[in-house]
Amino acid sequence: MKTFNIKRYILVAVLLTSISACEKSLQPYDSKSNEVALTTPDDIQIATYGNYSMLVAENYTRHLLTLNEWPGDNVVQSGADGDQASLGASYQHIPGMYPTRDFWAQSYKLIYSTNLIIERIKDGESPKLDQLKGENLYLRAMAHFNLVRLFGRPYPQGDGNNPGIPIKKDLKADDFPSRNTVKEVYDFVIADLLKAVSLMKDSKNANFASKEVAEALLSRVYLFKKDNANAIIYADKVINSNRYSLANTAVYKKSPTLVPESNPETIFNIRHTISDNKDKNSVGSLYYNDPATLSTGWGEYYASQAYMDLLNQNPQDARHAFITTHYIGGVLQYRGTSPVYFINKYNWQEGIANLASPVYLRLAEMYLNKAEANAKLGNNQLAIADVNLIRERAGLSGTALYTVSDLKGRGSVLNVVLEERRLEFAFEGQRSGDLFRNNLPLVRAYPGLHGTDNFNFRVEPTDSRVVYYIPEREININPNLTQNP
Amino acid sequence: MNFNSKVMPPARPKLSQILLAMKLTTILILAALSTVSASSYSQMITLHKRNISVGEVLRLIEKQTNYHFLYDRRDISRAGVINVDVGNVSVEVALDKCFKDQPLTYKIFQNTIVIKSREYFKEETLLKDLIVKGVVTDNKGETLPGVSVKLKGTTVGATTDSEGRYTLNVPDNNSILVFTYIGYITQEISINGSNSINVRLLEDTKSLEEVVVVGYSSKQLSQLSSSVVVVSGAKLNDVTSDDVTGLLQGKAAGVIVSNSSGDPNAGSNIIIRGSSSINAGAGPLYVVDGIIGGNAIPKDVESVTILKDAAATGLYGSRAANGVVIITTKTGKAGKTRIDFSSTTGFNTANTGNFRVMNSQQLYDYTKSFYPTDRFDKEIPASVVSQNTNWHDLAFRTGLNQNYGMAVSGGSEKTQFYVAGSYYNEEGTLKFNSNERYNMRTNITHTINDKFKLNVKFNARFNNQEFDPAGLDGALYGSYNNMPWDNPYNQDGSINRGTDGKWYGREQENFLHGWQYNINERQGTGLDGDINLDYSIIPNLSFASYNRVGYTNSRNELFNDIRSKAGKGLGRLNNGSNNGLSLITSNRLRYGKSFGKHTFDALAVGEIEKNHTSFNTVLGEGLAPGLHVINTASRILSATGGISENAFSKGLVQLDYNYDNRYFAVGSFINESSSRFGANNRSANFYTLGTSWILSNENFMKDRSKIDLLKIRASYGLTGNANIGNYQSLGLYSFATQYDSNSGSFPSQMANNDLAWEKAESWNLGLDVGMFNRISLNLDIYDKTTQGLLLNVEQPYTTGFGSVIKNVGSIQNRGLEINLTTDNLKGKFKWETNFNMAFNRSKVLVLEKGKDIRQGDLIISEGEELYTWNMRKWVGVDPANGDPLWERVSTDPNGNRIVTTTNSYSLATQQNVGSANPNFTGGMSNSFTYKGFSLFAFFNFVSGNLVYHSSRALFDSDGAYYTYNSMVLADGWNRWEKPGDIATHPKPVFGGSKNSNRTSSRFLEDGSYVRLRNVTFSYQLPSDFVNKFHIGNAKFFVSGDNLLTLTKFSGMDPEVVLGPGGGTSSIKYPISRKVLFGINIGL
Repeated sequence: MKTFNIKRYILVAVLLTSISACEKSLQPYDSKSNEVALTTPDDIQIATYGNYSMLVAENYTRHLLTLNEWPGDNVVQSGADGDQASLGASYQHIPGMYPTRDFWAQSYKLIYSTNLIIERIKDGESPKLDQLKGENLYLRAMAHFNLVRLFGRPYPQGDGNNPGIPIKKDLKADDFPSRNTVKEVYDFVIADLLKAVSLMKDSKNANFASKEVAEALLSRVYLFKKDNANAIIYADKVINSNRYSLANTAVYKKSPTLVPESNPETIFNIRHTISDNKDKNSVGSLYYNDPATLSTGWGEYYASQAYMDLLNQNPQDARHAFITTHYIGGVLQYRGTSPVYFINKYNWQEGIANLASPVYLRLAEMYLNKAEANAKLGNNQLAIADVNLIRERAGLSGTALYTVSDLKGRGSVLNVVLEERRLEFAFEGQRSGDLFRNNLPLVRAYPGLHGTDNFNFRVEPTDSRVVYYIPEREININPNLTQNP
Repeated sequence: MNFNSKVMPPARPKLSQILLAMKLTTILILAALSTVSASSYSQMITLHKRNISVGEVLRLIEKQTNYHFLYDRRDISRAGVINVDVGNVSVEVALDKCFKDQPLTYKIFQNTIVIKSREYFKEETLLKDLIVKGVVTDNKGETLPGVSVKLKGTTVGATTDSEGRYTLNVPDNNSILVFTYIGYITQEISINGSNSINVRLLEDTKSLEEVVVVGYSSKQLSQLSSSVVVVSGAKLNDVTSDDVTGLLQGKAAGVIVSNSSGDPNAGSNIIIRGSSSINAGAGPLYVVDGIIGGNAIPKDVESVTILKDAAATGLYGSRAANGVVIITTKTGKAGKTRIDFSSTTGFNTANTGNFRVMNSQQLYDYTKSFYPTDRFDKEIPASVVSQNTNWHDLAFRTGLNQNYGMAVSGGSEKTQFYVAGSYYNEEGTLKFNSNERYNMRTNITHTINDKFKLNVKFNARFNNQEFDPAGLDGALYGSYNNMPWDNPYNQDGSINRGTDGKWYGREQENFLHGWQYNINERQGTGLDGDINLDYSIIPNLSFASYNRVGYTNSRNELFNDIRSKAGKGLGRLNNGSNNGLSLITSNRLRYGKSFGKHTFDALAVGEIEKNHTSFNTVLGEGLAPGLHVINTASRILSATGGISENAFSKGLVQLDYNYDNRYFAVGSFINESSSRFGANNRSANFYTLGTSWILSNENFMKDRSKIDLLKIRASYGLTGNANIGNYQSLGLYSFATQYDSNSGSFPSQMANNDLAWEKAESWNLGLDVGMFNRISLNLDIYDKTTQGLLLNVEQPYTTGFGSVIKNVGSIQNRGLEINLTTDNLKGKFKWETNFNMAFNRSKVLVLEKGKDIRQGDLIISEGEELYTWNMRKWVGVDPANGDPLWERVSTDPNGNRIVTTTNSYSLATQQNVGSANPNFTGGMSNSFTYKGFSLFAFFNFVSGNLVYHSSRALFDSDGAYYTYNSMVLADGWNRWEKPGDIATHPKPVFGGSKNSNRTSSRFLEDGSYVRLRNVTFSYQLPSDFVNKFHIGNAKFFVSGDNLLTLTKFSGMDPEVVLGPGGGTSSIKYPISRKVLFGINIGL
């Protein structure tokens, strides 16, 4: 009888434990609760690294470069492809393009994460926290600025009074913001950058924001805003900081292959390490396919014939180094009607075919920002001098250089500057913006898959499609957003 | 053979008699098995003792012989001390002398001797000479060992030996013998003076079919108050497949199974009674052999029970909102050891349906029609048509399908076993794609004693899967899109890489080239061990403990050789491994009591479960040709890894009541908690109620003999759903990132401490009718309303998050299910038909703030059917200029809706354009039998759903993708050529015809189809014939799967995943046509 009772007790015990056991507050292994994630300065540093890493995402880097570059005339779409950024190249935008949607999404994720840190830090708590706050202010400004360039009309049109993008500086979750004007966004960006300049004291390398990085972006923002004086002031601040120098011609020619820390010219880049290799999904893969194996990338966007013609005016121009012309058995290869001029500006960092750390700001731009602003202010000599500085670094000399009295048929000093910007910043996402904000049309008089008239394609700066549609998903969810016409 | 329980407990005489009888039966079985060894012992006794107790004498006899004694201590103690003086005598002589003056007598059963008071054996002493012998066989004439033969009204009995023979002493000529055997109908036979009685027992097929496993218990089908469907193992195994879920297609009303790919490694999708959930998984809960989770291959399945309504699924409460699929594996039966061998071999071919891509000439003519004329001849010389590559034929093959299995089963009354091993190998119709599987199952049931029963199950499986290794875009993609103008071979016969210039197709990839070098495979191992213990505490009260450890492990490898294009000039290797461990224990107390016409059953269950998974991957590059281990990689590009866990616990009680087999009621209450929910709502309560009434058991129905069964059922219940990812309620910073080699973190998830169980409230009304012994009809109507829908609510990205999972909204599923089985012809020529059909309507009742939720091109909006397509509406082609036209909807200042057409895709309006849900689904089977021949045909059908044929954007692109091959226009389609043409397809334009191939209702097609899923013709050899070869039965068959599909769908195959995330047909791997030959042999 005794054993019988014991068994009964065991049974009851088993039943009870099986109902009451089991603490179910399981935590994930690769995450922390958001209540503890920003506790110490070290936590904030880690979260700030996390914010930089959001730039590395394909949704940021790749789309930033393609959505800005492909509407220009430096590259040519050689045939049909599946990347919907191509709709930007052919000016056949649709509201539901995934590159604009994903770029928008990634930008606001970054903005939200920077807001968490910016709200968390009071000014003057410590130099380290000030620096981190400044870095996050820089990132927030950069994110807003890059958005407004894609979705808001160029600043000079309507003097910034066209709809831009929503400014987001709070943490409200249930929020359906409407669009601020282009001017409001520019002013917000400038305010953030000025604050960042005042907070940042560390001279971190070009992988991170620092005072000079914010000043360099200010130079660009002021230039785009037609505030030529400030564009020059901030370019000079960066130049005169003496933290940067133009790479010599030999280094310049191989700059894509260098780790960014060893390029003296880079002010800010989006650092990709080996483990950030996006391989066939990287922007380098879209432009380049290693001719030795023809297997590393898509290689479907080439340097346009127009760009090559310009470059070929000076065969010794060092910027030929960024083009790999594809021959098989000595025969120039074509895809459709497009000669295969592979662009290698985003390839071979640390010997990996599609690895690159795209440069966002570099010293050459400071000179050419100054040059453009000076040209507009009528300081022709100053403008030409800065253009020649860049040309000399490209290995050009003598008659290849300009003088105020010899513009080699370019018509105006501004045209000279813009052409130099085209050559220098090709494939870096500047070209179509440079045209439209200067009220110039885009003209493609070369073959390629753009529009229906392949040899005579023209987009006026007032064209609706100079900007992208607001992503259809956002329009569907947020009733306060208005669509671009 | 040591018999230790010599001492019987001092129980009441009646009980001890029963126990003795049971032991005697056992002894007889043991004796029957040991006849040979017993005779070899010396059994002579020598004893010279005075004043010795009887007990001591017995002990000494045991020492000298191998006899054992069985007695009640009280009987022995009644005997006094005795004197013994015998030399070299038999045990009978010795015992007769010992017991001469004692109130004791004995009986010898082989080498066990039972000692009892003289009165006890008195009734038997008279009949020592009346002996009945005989043989027991089954209806096929095979002998049955282990059959219990008892004298009616007594405990006296015997058990048949291995040859089916029995011998029994009977008291008189009028005795009645009772033959009982599990699974057979009990027979009573009066001996009528005969001393030889041979018996043929009939299988009790009725009782076998009627008992249904419904989760925590088994019940007679007729006693259920809930809606369940049972699919027997035999019915399940018609189509040849490795996947139990896939085999359920069309076999049960209201169970929608879609096998959307012909890849033998692709799983199937199952939805029971519509999608009651949107984001939480819509799949049912699987329960194998009485406990949540587990695995079984089709061959080992005894039956599948699908629980559909709340009364049935209730006990799985929280996890059962989408139905429960209960799989019961086979067990051994006491008696002769059975050996079953089966072998199936056949061929798989790809089904191309209505789909054709262009040949060289067609593509040339089509391309010429839109290519810039000044460029065409230069870029596409007329000579291209001299090459006409059929990439589909190069990618696909006739695959071999093999399935072999052997199962050995049997056992004794105490221990039964089922041991099975099988091998399955299906080659996909796409080359280098296969699924090979080895499976081993052992199920053992052992009755330890009358209180304890042990059940041990072990399932081990090893999978070797091979996936297309072509690399980059893959062979399937190439088979659709590669151009017929491109020659896969060089002039010397070697394989072209596609990158050597003069290649017209966009991808510059020849999958034949990558196939030479690359590897893409996965090996998986899975082990499940179950230990179940049943303990009968006291009569009517029992305890059961079910416990399982499940372990899975897999390793996958993707190797792109340096020589292949995907190797990117360096060679690449991606290795991944996954581990999963799940532990579950389920402990149950059950109490059953009958008095008068009332029967009660009560059940209490406590259950806990923990699941743990982990993974690791590593990607390396720089490998020498042909070497594919990570050690040889010159550089590691990336490494990832993670761990994920969840836990559940549950307690429930259920009460079941039955009055006179006429009225039934069942009710249960369940409490469950899960780690997946917010701290505020971790646990939840659920309950169910069910009732039914068998009218045909009422007296007023008894004389209506044409009606075999008439039953009505009603059930109501609240069930839950926890099928969301782990950790979803937490506000999180993820640390799975880095910048410039510094570890980073980012906000990855919004907190929702209120995240709670999704609950479904459902009603079910059912009617079961059986008539004329020929017709069986089941009708069910139901209404399932889901509250607190777990939904990924889209956020504007400006909030920093794309979506957050919340409990919002409510959806309703209503439906009707019909299941009709008719025996159209009986007798020599038999014809049986089964037909099932289900109608389900899903309606979205409420959403958070009434806001639509978009999932790709499907929209969930209040008042609409769940899964409504929302996209731009295609209105056709402008006859004037061949432009594509869409609908534009706007409102004028007076609020009137204005509908116009536009050729601007961007200006067209997104709107609801139809449903992805079918109007009805179902299946029909017919079987014809004549003598040993049988013919079986099974159709399934789906009707009324719109399928989005997304890949037409590539191969029906009106010139946008001119570097891909194009599809040949389907019947009834035509292309605009000149003004005035009324056409389905716009004017083709080089580079694209005004975005005509962008997402719109243009590519929505009717997904209805009827498919002949299986035809099987089989022949069972006559048993007289096969018995000559000592074979029990032998059957040959030839079977065809998916031989015919009727559909208007323009692609290869109309079948798509129905339900969440489904409805789209892309670059499709069509399901295979199979012709298989098989043989089943039973020994």
